[in-house]
Amino acid sequence: MRTTLMGAAALAAALLFPGAVAAADAARGQALAESCAACHGPGGNSQLDLVPSLAGQQPLFLTLQMILFREGIRAFPPMNEAMKGVVDRDIEDLAAYYASLTLEPQPPARDAAKVERGKALSATHHCGSCHLPDYSGQNQVPRIAGQREDFLLHTMLEYQQQKRSGTDTAMNAALYGLSEADLEALAHYLALQR
Amino acid sequence: MATFASMRLALGAALLAAAAVPAYAQQQQVPAWAVGREGSGMSPTLAPHAPKLTVTPENELPINDLRVPDGFKIEVWAHGAPGARMMAVGDRGTVFVGSRVIGRVYAISDEGGQRRVRIIAQGLKQPNGIAFKDGALTVIAINQVLRWEGIEGKLDNPGQPTDLTSAFNLPPEEHHGWKFAGFGPDGRLYTNVGVPCNVCEFDRDRYAILVSFRPDGSDRRIEARGIRNSVGFDFHPATRELWATNNGRDWAGNDVPEDTLHRVRRSGEDHGFPFCVGDWNDPAVPRRACSEFEQPAAKLGPHVAALGMRFYRGTGFGAEYENQIFIARRGSWNREKKSGYDVVVAKLDGQGRVTGIQPFLTGFLDASGEKFTGRPVDVQQLQDGSLLVADEQLGAIYRISRR
Ligand code: HEC
Ligand code: HEC
Repeated sequence: MRTTLMGAAALAAALLFPGAVAAADAARGQALAESCAACHGPGGNSQLDLVPSLAGQQPLFLTLQMILFREGIRAFPPMNEAMKGVVDRDIEDLAAYYASLTLEPQPPARDAAKVERGKALSATHHCGSCHLPDYSGQNQVPRIAGQREDFLLHTMLEYQQQKRSGTDTAMNAALYGLSEADLEALAHYLALQR
Repeated sequence: MATFASMRLALGAALLAAAAVPAYAQQQQVPAWAVGREGSGMSPTLAPHAPKLTVTPENELPINDLRVPDGFKIEVWAHGAPGARMMAVGDRGTVFVGSRVIGRVYAISDEGGQRRVRIIAQGLKQPNGIAFKDGALTVIAINQVLRWEGIEGKLDNPGQPTDLTSAFNLPPEEHHGWKFAGFGPDGRLYTNVGVPCNVCEFDRDRYAILVSFRPDGSDRRIEARGIRNSVGFDFHPATRELWATNNGRDWAGNDVPEDTLHRVRRSGEDHGFPFCVGDWNDPAVPRRACSEFEQPAAKLGPHVAALGMRFYRGTGFGAEYENQIFIARRGSWNREKKSGYDVVVAKLDGQGRVTGIQPFLTGFLDASGEKFTGRPVDVQQLQDGSLLVADEQLGAIYRISRR
């Protein structure tokens, strides 16, 4: 049997080889990532407001988010543009590249009251059950430890307002009923984790 | 099935159980997806499995692990359709395939013994409902009903569909809002509306129903109530009765409640959700006598996610399979020991009583019971009598035929 695939994923089928996940090629990904650095920073550590760091992120999460941008299901026009026509294999290699880098958190000045509040909210809302107790993430669940505080807050507000949808509605539900001040405390607490 | 979402109109099971607070008065204390987890005794790390949305090459499919009964064989029919779910077959043999997260509708055709996969629609919100009739393809996404007339004549350029969304006026909730779709022998379009929570109080004329319409979206009729989230149904080839699978709720325990198979004898019957599953009273909601409700035709296993189902029409598989039901069980997440990940046959006697549930396609779950290499979500019979099985996880479609 042979399959000819039309559309966005056309080349991927032909180019892939056994053990795609393990074999995803970080070196190839690095070459593809040149145009990303302007926003996501050198080595995947973002220096820009509202732009997430990608270094050390979970590769499956990165892959899925790039697909969602490509397919227009997660909306952010510059990212939708950046992913247009990028084939599956390139996406997997980009993900392998960013996952292989080391996150260098730029922690905000510590506000002890906010940290306490964020920590307590994370416990009552079980953030660590999916994101793991050290918030390093797993599979489709992203690392949130050490991410930029401004991006964390921004994206949590978007989940709450149903402006961001993911591969499931887990996050829209997980933040249900939290106030903006709650989300600020969570973002602050998480940005300080390593 | 995954049961994640905001629960705006719902009251959490936890609160119901506590019962001290008036229903809609209190802010929810627990995120909707986890309602019922506290005190369930189940592992708090249980969560839905990750999808895979990139193309999987044919040589990475687990074809050598798959098992079918003696006298049958299984092969890869198509691959490279990430997220492939519900299937409908066109008059000229095109297999139309819906999806959820990836938002695509595929058209797969056989060209000289090879399968060609086209993406005919994309960017839709969970276009899981796929039905074909009189040359037209109807797609039901969460917030849309779309129809392409004469689709098989224009697969390379399907053009703009007719938008029937407002005529059908289906609820917009995402949670359990993905649809199964099919035309009945009466020419009406049938679909499901799931309940937008795990377990809660809700409008029982609007959610947890099977419902039918004239093809233009008029003349809405409730076919069955109290069916929590059905994502599969078909009509008995002889009696024309509607039969449907149903997903039981999460966090009540590893072995309760079971997913169920329902036989709908008359339009409008009440099948018991949220109060009862068979003779099991859900402790999360006020107690009602389960004898008030229709009983399921069969139990299909706890948390197995019984989804797409079809009656086998004709005798191609042998007389013992004629008018029997093939059911895809996508596989559990809300259970400490994984179960499902297979296709079973519900054996029916002459009176339409289910006499047993037999395994038919197995091997997606490895011997440890921990790793899976496929999640079967739908079955569909081809004109030649063979049976297709759609695997959402690796975007493949398998074909089972007689040796
Ligand atoms: C013009 C700036 C810009 C460029 C260029 C850009 N990105 Fe982004 N990217 C963003 C912003 C901003 C977001 C966050 C969007 C949001 O708020 O939802 C983002 C989000 C992402 C995410 C999701 C991360 C998360 O934690 O949610 C991934 C993955 C990503 N980009 C990968 C890439 C790759 C790979 C490239 C290059 C091919 C690229 N981006 C190019 C600005 C950019
Ligand atoms: C049921 C599992 C689950 C729980 C509980 C959960 N999350 Fe998430 N979270 C996810 C998943 C899955 C994603 C990726 C969703 C997507 O595809 O957009 C995510 C994404 C996120 C993101 C986006 C990060 C990025 O880089 O784009 C943030 C921030 C986040 N979660 C914070 C939290 C916080 C804070 C809590 C607790 C209040 C929490 N999560 C609880 C599963 C969970």
